[in-house]
Amino acid sequence: MKGFQAQEKTGIIEIDRKTCKGCDSCKAFCPTDAIEGKYGAIHKIDGEKCVSCGQCLINCPFGAPQDTVDVVDQVIDKLKNKQVTVVGTIAPAVRVAIGEEFGMEPGSLVTEKLYGAMKEAGFKVLDTNFTADQTIMEEGMELIAKIRHYALGEPTAHHLGPLPQFTSCCPAWVTYAELYYPELLPHMSSAKSPMMMAGALGKTYGAAEIWQVAPADVFMVGIMPCTAKKFEASRPEFHSAAHYWQTQGQSGDYPDIDVVLTTRDLARLFKKLNINVRTVAEYSDQDNPLAQYSGAATIFANTGGVMEAALRTAYFVITGTELDVLEFKPVRGLQGVKEAAVTLKDAKTGSAVTLNVAVAHGTKQNVKPLLDEVQAGKSPYHFIEIMNCPGGCVNGGGQPINPMGTSWLDKAKAVLPWA
Amino acid sequence: MARYDYVEKAVKVTRREFLGIVGVAGAVLWTGAYVATDLVQDRTKYIKMRAQGIYKDDEKAKIRQSHNNQAVTDVYKKFAHNPLSHLAEELFHTN
Ligand code: SF4
Ligand code: SF4
Ligand code: SF4
Repeated sequence: MKGFQAQEKTGIIEIDRKTCKGCDSCKAFCPTDAIEGKYGAIHKIDGEKCVSCGQCLINCPFGAPQDTVDVVDQVIDKLKNKQVTVVGTIAPAVRVAIGEEFGMEPGSLVTEKLYGAMKEAGFKVLDTNFTADQTIMEEGMELIAKIRHYALGEPTAHHLGPLPQFTSCCPAWVTYAELYYPELLPHMSSAKSPMMMAGALGKTYGAAEIWQVAPADVFMVGIMPCTAKKFEASRPEFHSAAHYWQTQGQSGDYPDIDVVLTTRDLARLFKKLNINVRTVAEYSDQDNPLAQYSGAATIFANTGGVMEAALRTAYFVITGTELDVLEFKPVRGLQGVKEAAVTLKDAKTGSAVTLNVAVAHGTKQNVKPLLDEVQAGKSPYHFIEIMNCPGGCVNGGGQPINPMGTSWLDKAKAVLPWA
Repeated sequence: MARYDYVEKAVKVTRREFLGIVGVAGAVLWTGAYVATDLVQDRTKYIKMRAQGIYKDDEKAKIRQSHNNQAVTDVYKKFAHNPLSHLAEELFHTN
């Protein structure tokens, strides 16, 4: 595996040879042309090219691509172990999709039921929405520092990366950039994704201040709409909590996020424990500071969400007043590339700056033209949000498959010999 | 600048080609009921439904901006000092 580091999990998505019909559909959804095989022949994924996004998996009409990393039983064992504090960190997109696995309509918002089910299973919660808010503070301040310096001409004491700044919360996008556009990496925000911030925060502040347990006894479980998050959690650079405690005189090494469950995996875990998300007692987790989140955090699940959340905060920080209409319509919706311009009047100096932003989702179709523009030094933007999956994380590779009940496979089951 | 629309490449299964894979009986059932664009159309439908659920979560939220999340402010007050502080860089950024 040339393009990857030693401890990283690769081969997360593999095509089952027995199931694949060679129909080529997956190729139409794969952002990196990682799928090989002639039409009609069994297809195979080239691990050197794959970014683990799972788009082939959720779009194959035969259900041939598989997620090979299954940690459901391992998490159940940890939940039974009284020595261990098992903390689930739930991405925003999970709360509008997991209901589908229990017979609810797509889009049903089940946050309180999900908290109830997590409690019943024995999880503590550090909501990824909480660290999404924190991501806006870190990534937003990074952007604001660049705007103050490059656009408003303020001097800076720190090294700042170039504009446009790219969002860094989608691991499939980050891997895509590493493999195919390494020269653009200085544009990537240095902020970790909300999941990785949750890992580092849970095993430092969470362990010490909130749960008051030894950090090594905290087992962090990412609960994600995304197969690429399994890859992200395995990256060797994400051992920040252990490194922090080493500077405080403790020994021991452990990853910030121990394992990742997809939305589908979590539904399987609940079913194994006889917990039904549809009927479970609701729970609001009001006393848990790490389950508090703003509306800005939850919209991270949609394409344009990170941008909208960042603009709400950037606007306030630069102008000193809150936006009066928070809904930022130009970055919403399913258009491939969305752009917007916002004029901000700096409260400190009185000078105005117009912030140009772009949002792209669906690496397969929409990302390359934007990147080529940046590469050519012609990008008119200050900030670019990129999500690998069409529609953003709500349509991630770890989400329930074909929730409308219209999958080819489901329809075909009754009549076709192989199904 | 140019705008790029949200268009999926059509999936390459035609009725004739399908004969080779599933045989006559299968192909007739198949291509009658399941054209490739169904997949993308259905997907667009559930993407929109899930996205609506998310926007509902935003609308009903008591606070709607990240900088107004008091619990996040507490993390900085009690622990990480302020965004982009040395400790914040160490824990919340890659280098
Ligand atoms: S879409 Fe599925 S069945 Fe068709 S070639 Fe790809 S993996 Fe095989
Ligand atoms: S997981 Fe994503 S990148 Fe990998 S083969 Fe499937 S669609 Fe392509
Ligand atoms: S868009 Fe979301 S679900 Fe898709 S790969 Fe990126 S982080 Fe994962």
